[in-house]
Amino acid sequence: MLQCIFLLSDSGEVMLEKQLTGHRVDRSICDWFWDHVISQGDSLKSQPVIASPTHYLFQVVREGITFLACTQVEMPPLMGIEFLCRVSDVLSDYLGGLNEDVIKDNFVIVYELLDEMIDNGFPLTTEPNILREMIAPPNIVSKVLSVVTGNSSNVSDTLPGATGSCIPWRAADPKYANNEVYVDLVEEMDAVINRDGVLVKCEVYGEVRVNSHLSGLPDLTLSFANPSILDDVRFHPCVRFRPWESHQILSFVPPDGEFKLMSYRVKKLKSTPIYVKPQLSSDAGKCRVNVLVGIRNDHGKTIDSITLQFQLPPCILSADLTSNTGTVNILGNKTCSWSIGRIPKDKTPSLSGTLVLESELERLHVFPTFRVGFKIMGVALSGLQIDKLDLKTAPSRLYKGFRALTRAGEFEVRS
Amino acid sequence: MFPQFGATADTLSKASTMVFRIGTDAHLYDDPDDVSIAPLLDSKFDSEKCEALKRLLALIAQGIDVSNYFPQVVKNVASQSLEVKKLVYLYLLHYAEKRPNEALLSINYFQKDLGDPNPLVRAWALRTMAGIRLHVIAPLVLVAVGKCARDPSVYVRKCAANALPKLHDLRQEEHALAIEEIVGKLLNDHSPAVVGAAAAAFASVCPYNLSLIRRNYRKLCEILPDVEEWGQIALIGILLRYVIASHGLVKESIMFSLQCTESSHSVKDGSDADFGQVKESTDMGGTCDYEFVNMVSRCYIEGPDEYLSRSSYANRESFQLTDEQFTSGKSNDDVKILLYSTSPLLWSNNSAVVLAAAGVHWVMAPKEDVKRIIKPLLFLLRSSNASKYVVLCNIQVFAKAMPSLFAPYYEDFFICSSESYQVKALKLEILSSIATDSSISSIFKEFQDYIRDPDRRFAADTIAAIGLCAQRLPKMAHICVDGLLALTREEFVTKDFGFGDQEAGILTHAILSIKSIIKQDPPSHEKVIIQLVRSLDSIKVPAARAMIIWMVGEYSTLGEIIPRMLNTVLKYLAWCFTSEALETKLQILNTVCKVLVGATEDVWTFKKIFSYLVELAECDLNYDVRDRVRFLKKLQSSNLVSIGQEEGTNDLPEKDLLHVVAECILGRQTRKVKAESFSYRFYLPGSLSQIVLHAAPGYEPLPKPCSLLLDDRNVPEGTSEIKKTVADYSGTDDYGTSSEGSDDESASDYDSQHSVAESSGSGRGDDSEFTSEGNDNADPLIQISDFGNASENQNGVSQSGPANLGELMSDRALESWLDEQSGSSNPGISEQSQVRISSARISLGDVGKRVKPKCYSLLDPATSGNGLKVDYSFSSEISSMSHLLVCIEVFFKNCSSETISEITLVDEDSNRALDAADKAADVNQSSLASSDNVPTLVPMESIASLEPDQTARRILHVRFHHHLLPLKLALYCDGKKLPVKLRPDIGYFVKPLPMDVEVFIDRESRLPGMFEYTRSCAFTDHIEELNKENGDSLFVKDKFLAICESLALKILSNANLCLVSIDMPVAANLDDASGLRLRFSSEILSSSIPCLITITVEGKCSDPLNLSIKVNCEETVFGLNLLNRIANFLVERTLG
Repeated sequence: MLQCIFLLSDSGEVMLEKQLTGHRVDRSICDWFWDHVISQGDSLKSQPVIASPTHYLFQVVREGITFLACTQVEMPPLMGIEFLCRVSDVLSDYLGGLNEDVIKDNFVIVYELLDEMIDNGFPLTTEPNILREMIAPPNIVSKVLSVVTGNSSNVSDTLPGATGSCIPWRAADPKYANNEVYVDLVEEMDAVINRDGVLVKCEVYGEVRVNSHLSGLPDLTLSFANPSILDDVRFHPCVRFRPWESHQILSFVPPDGEFKLMSYRVKKLKSTPIYVKPQLSSDAGKCRVNVLVGIRNDHGKTIDSITLQFQLPPCILSADLTSNTGTVNILGNKTCSWSIGRIPKDKTPSLSGTLVLESELERLHVFPTFRVGFKIMGVALSGLQIDKLDLKTAPSRLYKGFRALTRAGEFEVRS
Repeated sequence: MFPQFGATADTLSKASTMVFRIGTDAHLYDDPDDVSIAPLLDSKFDSEKCEALKRLLALIAQGIDVSNYFPQVVKNVASQSLEVKKLVYLYLLHYAEKRPNEALLSINYFQKDLGDPNPLVRAWALRTMAGIRLHVIAPLVLVAVGKCARDPSVYVRKCAANALPKLHDLRQEEHALAIEEIVGKLLNDHSPAVVGAAAAAFASVCPYNLSLIRRNYRKLCEILPDVEEWGQIALIGILLRYVIASHGLVKESIMFSLQCTESSHSVKDGSDADFGQVKESTDMGGTCDYEFVNMVSRCYIEGPDEYLSRSSYANRESFQLTDEQFTSGKSNDDVKILLYSTSPLLWSNNSAVVLAAAGVHWVMAPKEDVKRIIKPLLFLLRSSNASKYVVLCNIQVFAKAMPSLFAPYYEDFFICSSESYQVKALKLEILSSIATDSSISSIFKEFQDYIRDPDRRFAADTIAAIGLCAQRLPKMAHICVDGLLALTREEFVTKDFGFGDQEAGILTHAILSIKSIIKQDPPSHEKVIIQLVRSLDSIKVPAARAMIIWMVGEYSTLGEIIPRMLNTVLKYLAWCFTSEALETKLQILNTVCKVLVGATEDVWTFKKIFSYLVELAECDLNYDVRDRVRFLKKLQSSNLVSIGQEEGTNDLPEKDLLHVVAECILGRQTRKVKAESFSYRFYLPGSLSQIVLHAAPGYEPLPKPCSLLLDDRNVPEGTSEIKKTVADYSGTDDYGTSSEGSDDESASDYDSQHSVAESSGSGRGDDSEFTSEGNDNADPLIQISDFGNASENQNGVSQSGPANLGELMSDRALESWLDEQSGSSNPGISEQSQVRISSARISLGDVGKRVKPKCYSLLDPATSGNGLKVDYSFSSEISSMSHLLVCIEVFFKNCSSETISEITLVDEDSNRALDAADKAADVNQSSLASSDNVPTLVPMESIASLEPDQTARRILHVRFHHHLLPLKLALYCDGKKLPVKLRPDIGYFVKPLPMDVEVFIDRESRLPGMFEYTRSCAFTDHIEELNKENGDSLFVKDKFLAICESLALKILSNANLCLVSIDMPVAANLDDASGLRLRFSSEILSSSIPCLITITVEGKCSDPLNLSIKVNCEETVFGLNLLNRIANFLVERTLG
């Protein structure tokens, strides 16, 4: 059972504390936490479960905000972590992003949300759609209204009907003039290319995102043309397990609005859409860098917002890098980022320059890893294809839309 | 139209100044107390109340204590506005425990809200009411929860389930049953949402009440997929525990694998045990580390702390899972339905649910089905970074136990540069434990990349992982070593400038890995050692150098080339000795010594090198080096001499001791150390304890298999168990059970011999005389005296004590004390004693009479005695023949219907005994020389015949050769020889040594330190005594006296001691026996060494007392044994 949740800002300030059980946790635990983060460096900052002298701490860091939960007794750590992740998702959904100011500005809503989401240290209502009905998200209309009338209540007077139904993710009976449902395939490509230029690992992590505005209680079925390529899947609670088990058909009553229907993984892909060829040669205290980026095979779609990031090794004193396309920035923490954008038709983008090594060092012995970013609209690189989307008892007019998008995930090129 | 408009004008103007944060609560957070909050709270407008409450909330968020507003806030509970309500509730929950009295004011409103038609209001009221944690209102809350548990709204019922742990948390025993009843009812709810919350409540309220689950197990399994994700986590855990408790483990599961393979394992152990204990399990086509799995499964069931502590006592076998504790997963429906209903949860969106479901399959699923959990687990790695770490921690255990499961998915553990160090380290560890011959090459390619990673700590870990892989897969050892060697030669690591520790760490790890690989099979890596030695000149890191030098010593006799190199190498080492770091210096000394011990040629040179090094090292600045060299010189001195005399033939039979020691210490440790020491702790998959690697509070291992069935079998089972434990208890006691067979004769015998020091004038053991003094209840006399002036006191010069002394005296005792006090005339002494008096002294009059020595059975008429029953008891009589002999009273009784004749008891080796007996008669008792001749058993007068039911008594003089081991005797009767065992009682190896308290204290002070042993134990006999006293209300004995009496009686009945004194605490209250002290004195029969025993009492009269026993005795072993014996019999309950 979680006993307390703290929201900490990047500077270490406790922005918010919410005691969950009768066993109060003093906020001095946060001081302990920061002392140890400072003394042990990043290793503690990235450790999700910490055993402090008095409490066990779960920590999740999102956009500079640290969500810290405390417990003193045995509980599944993933439950604590997953819950904190949900909290951060809900908050960033409500507040349109997460940062110190936005939490402070809306602290009442944060309190009200936390109070609904967890009761006595056990999660109570985490379904975003119900929460939305219970506590209205701040929007420009309500803001203006509150200023004018002075009545700023965002707490709903009635219990959302969904809390009682057996499909808690769906609000009771929404009515829409236009019935529409949109299905997006959002994929992220993870790839590792080793020092020899060999593609070690290439897989796609994808999500099926559905945005549904359907009246009544719609029962949808979604099927894929090639479900066999899916390696692993995870489903939204609305998906019925048995039809998937037997026929690999997604049968579900969708929540209202946007939600993640399923996530999947496709492994062992053979190629990446772009190539990155870094060359580093060092001699006599200098290191020559040359990086080429290009399109490997044409999907017929343009590849957007290509970026390249790498961390200069600590033994490098200075760097002088230029590129023929895009801009190169070297940040204070020796992070170098090269944003290319779109690859021009006429030339191959290249980054070149020299790095000066520390004085005693002849040659470079540690090599940076290049992290690649890109975005391709309109294509799912895994090759997954949606076959059809059916609605039982279809209303007179139903708009269906499909889209696809692929981004780079953990795309790494070692040099 | 806008009634509150006027009031908000202020707010409006403020808001307008902050255009960007318009409509938010920013200004409230930034300056929460820039307006006076109190009047706003009392306002009649909801909006103003809201603002005030928001300001308070902001102050709470910032960690400022605003509990002083509590009374004003509580009033607003009555508000009709839901928003105000919500804010008030938030405030209330935060402070209710601090201000319980004011919080009580709100109860009425909650009661009212509980009847509200709006379910939201009802739910909130219930949540808050249960959350304010007031013991006083617990009954009210219980009623409210009970009512809400029948509420038509699912949400309210769910909140009712959530309220149960809050109630339980108040720890009010009287409600426990009612709470469990509600849990049971809610578990039976038809709505999945309620069942989930009820499962969570069950887990925290009554996790052991598995019979609640039995009622609707099937239904719970079926409803599981529809339960809310958080409830699923709790419910999965409960169902797993229930199935194990009621059906046991599954035969086909991994947890069972040890049972069937233990025998084959031990056979194979010799051949390839050193390579990670990986064995092919032919039936399932997977590899599985059985020893590891066994440990994991035991840890799951017993809890690692229990398991490890037990295994350290080397009785691993005491916990064996029997066949009945296993069930078949194929035929058991309960198991099947659990697995069936949890398997779709592996697709859950909630990673905690996936891990919980995977845990069930890991423990329960048939081996071939376990692989179902692999992909979902690996998929979890793609969720948040935080959960990635937790999942990897769990995978690590799975992978170690069954590497074959994860072996095909090694690519999933390849490392991204963006991951945190902990994740990287875990992945490396998993990779090195799942590497197979087919995957190792790609894994090595990855490792090579990692070595070049800018994170040098990670690179060092990678090198260690390479070493591990090579140990697991001996085929790859050569490739690994080559790679590592190449690494050590690289410029960047061998240079000792620049990157300091990190590069040094890499080199050290590389050498360490090489070292451990070589250890596996030294002969095949001879060349590697040579190469390393050659590179000594370029390697500058001290730790690495030290390790290479160690290898020189360790493998100095290996192969052909190394012995020939030694000469040069040692010379080189001697040459650079002065410039080395400390650890290298120490290692050089060790190595040279080792070489010297094992050397067969060139000994002369080595000797010279050694003496040169000795000279250098003796003048070293560091004292460790100087110490080490002195030690080694001493060790080698003999070796050097013997070598000097006989040129290398140091394996002569007349090797002296030093040489043997030198060989032992410096000789090659060819003993193979086990590849992995299994000191891991395992906790259930998905538990917090598994992550932090210690049992978090509230962690429960799985229930004992089939324990639920055992519990349900009714009473007879239970009683037999109790009987068994009783039997066990007496069985462990060497002295057997006490019997009621002691008779008056022996008691009086004892009495005549025993004298209690400081008898206070009343004739002990002479009841009539005692009572004639006018004490109608035969109470012993109490004397109170100053500690230091006890003798004076005895002479009738009484001392004054603090007036409050009277508190703890019984009336009569107090009177006598007061009488004495009246005679006091010396104010000086009285003042002094005011400070010093801390105890009173008690004498027990008649205790000696009531002493009943314990009777032990020598021969049982039923089993072996042919109807002859022989009992014996130790007598307090002192043998007149020899001080080595102990007197034992033996009672013979004929229980058969026929006459038994010619009964005699002789030493096992009767001839010798008879011989010796003749001598014994005229042996001088005190002569040491003759003491050896004292017979084991002075022959007893044989009993010519014993009629049925006739008894006979004999005194035996026995010499025990050991104070703990039983003596084997032979009993002849009717011409038959029956072997019997006479168990010694160390309590009778002493005789009473009467002395004064002063003498006692004086002697005690002369036996400090190592002659003093203490032990503590619990004492409960007096409780019965006290209860008995209370029962008959004729007179009430002083509690202290009762305790003293029962304690003294217990001790005197079990050991031949002399009661010196009893001190009673004075500055304590009536019920506290702390400070009560009994002193006993004795001397050892055989050696006449005095043995002083002091027992100090601690604790309340009516509770079990904590005794601390102290024995002061010059003979250490005897003293300790006596101490243990006393502690043992004090703990033992007097039976009958």
